[in-house]
Amino acid sequence: MEAMEIDSQNILQRKQATYSSLDDPFEIHKETYRGQQYSQIYFARLHLMRTLLYSLAPNWKPHLPVCTILELEKDRECIIVGTLYKHMKLKPCILDEYSKERSVTPLVKPHNFMHPDDTLVLEDDSGRVKLSGSVLLPSIYVTGVVVALLGKETDAGDFLVQDVLEAGLPPQIEHPLKPREDKHVVFVSGLSVGGSTSNPLQFQLLIDHITGHLGDEKEQGIAAEIVHVVLAGNSVEFPRGLLNGQNLASKDQSRLSEPIKELDIFLTQVAASLPLDIMPGSDDPANFSLPQQPLNRCLFPGSSAYNTFRICTNPHCFEVDNIRLLGTSGQNIDDLEKYSEAKDKLEFMERTLRWRHLAPTTPNTLGCYPFVDRDPFFIDSCPHVYFVGNQDKYKTDLIKGSEGQLVRLICIPKFCDTGVAVVLNLRNLECHTLSFGTEFSS
Amino acid sequence: MATTSGNIKEFYRQRKKSGVSKPSNSKISTKKSLKNAATFGSDITQPSALISHGSPDLKDDNDENEDILRKFDMNMAYGPCLGMTRLARWERARSLGLNPPEEIEGLLKAGKVRSDCLWDGRV
Repeated sequence: MEAMEIDSQNILQRKQATYSSLDDPFEIHKETYRGQQYSQIYFARLHLMRTLLYSLAPNWKPHLPVCTILELEKDRECIIVGTLYKHMKLKPCILDEYSKERSVTPLVKPHNFMHPDDTLVLEDDSGRVKLSGSVLLPSIYVTGVVVALLGKETDAGDFLVQDVLEAGLPPQIEHPLKPREDKHVVFVSGLSVGGSTSNPLQFQLLIDHITGHLGDEKEQGIAAEIVHVVLAGNSVEFPRGLLNGQNLASKDQSRLSEPIKELDIFLTQVAASLPLDIMPGSDDPANFSLPQQPLNRCLFPGSSAYNTFRICTNPHCFEVDNIRLLGTSGQNIDDLEKYSEAKDKLEFMERTLRWRHLAPTTPNTLGCYPFVDRDPFFIDSCPHVYFVGNQDKYKTDLIKGSEGQLVRLICIPKFCDTGVAVVLNLRNLECHTLSFGTEFSS
Repeated sequence: MATTSGNIKEFYRQRKKSGVSKPSNSKISTKKSLKNAATFGSDITQPSALISHGSPDLKDDNDENEDILRKFDMNMAYGPCLGMTRLARWERARSLGLNPPEEIEGLLKAGKVRSDCLWDGRV
């Protein structure tokens, strides 16, 4: 009998990459709530962006005066800066419940609240003015975006817009262009472990591929190039039928915690292999309002034993090998879809970058913590990669800024529906998908 | 039930157990304070509750420091004042580069002034 020889020269090593987390602005454990309202965060946002737009205005329209809204004079061309407010007819309003005429409310709730009669209003700390003209399309903008407008006041008292200045893509820190080896980051979202649509075998296949348990040497070599995994939200799905306001029986209690235990078992396998970031999503056991705080370590007793397991906020910003990645679990883009329109999700993502704000609809229609002295969703440095999770389809694009910024936009599809994970090559910012299926064709 | 003379203060002399005692020349000062009283010229209908320490309690004990701080609260350039302590608002104004006057920080750190804005607890 021959003894099995272990050829030590053929052990495949996984590639390593440096990692640093930039989630500090999104943490709220240092904040204390003193009963403040949202006026503070709107002031912080207006001030931040107004300073920026004032510095950009001379390059845009030299020699034109900049004034506040109260200082507007009729027929004098000038530039005003303020926060946009979109008055939407179909947007549900709490006051409708108190209106005297109890008209029949439509049974079907629209997914998109747009209407041709929507109007835009610009507001700064001195006043507000209605906007008119065809340059500024209400279908593109949402409440909460700060812009600079060129135009003049008309006799009717509104402001006729002639041109718009958005903040544009923020400056990007260049990463060295010298060719490096291929290193991959895997993005997955919408695992919904424990839910009815999720297939544990599919997820197990993904884990086996990432950890190098699948395939021959060539395929293992490809897997060894994966340096990081990001779970972009909705990793778990609780049986919500149990949470109906009544006391849980003891067997129901164990049923409630089964999905997260199942997820922990899966994630332990991944964390034992390579660094893993987990972000909370809209269905995860985390707080509702943005920025969502990291999931609790106690939910993952197995995985949190590894220092490669990192719990992260939503939105999540981090650097791998000096490449900056920024992303959310999807709430910001989904909310934009309800209140504006674009040809695809990538266009929404591009708009948020050009507006320099991750989630302009907070706190108007998207829950947000009432920050007092800052707006953490302001994007001050352009990421190299911008990803959004829990979307319907995989989509990607590369956009260019006016100062040479290059951003890879990625829409990560829901894994429970599509079985698709996204792989990003850090060397050239190219993306491809990994799709897993468990059906056997007859 | 009118008393013909203005001696209602003498009749219902207030005795305060703690704090400041009424000045002894209250008779003279009530005559002066009547000029500010809501009902001019008559002290019969002036409820004694509004008159404490010899003058009507209409001014809320404002001293000039509080006035300066109220002007700071109301200054639009530094943003909304409700929901923050004055010092936190001053710090925010400084970190946003608005250059708030230094004397306000001095007043707030010295103490003895209200730390919350004028609307706090009232709105």
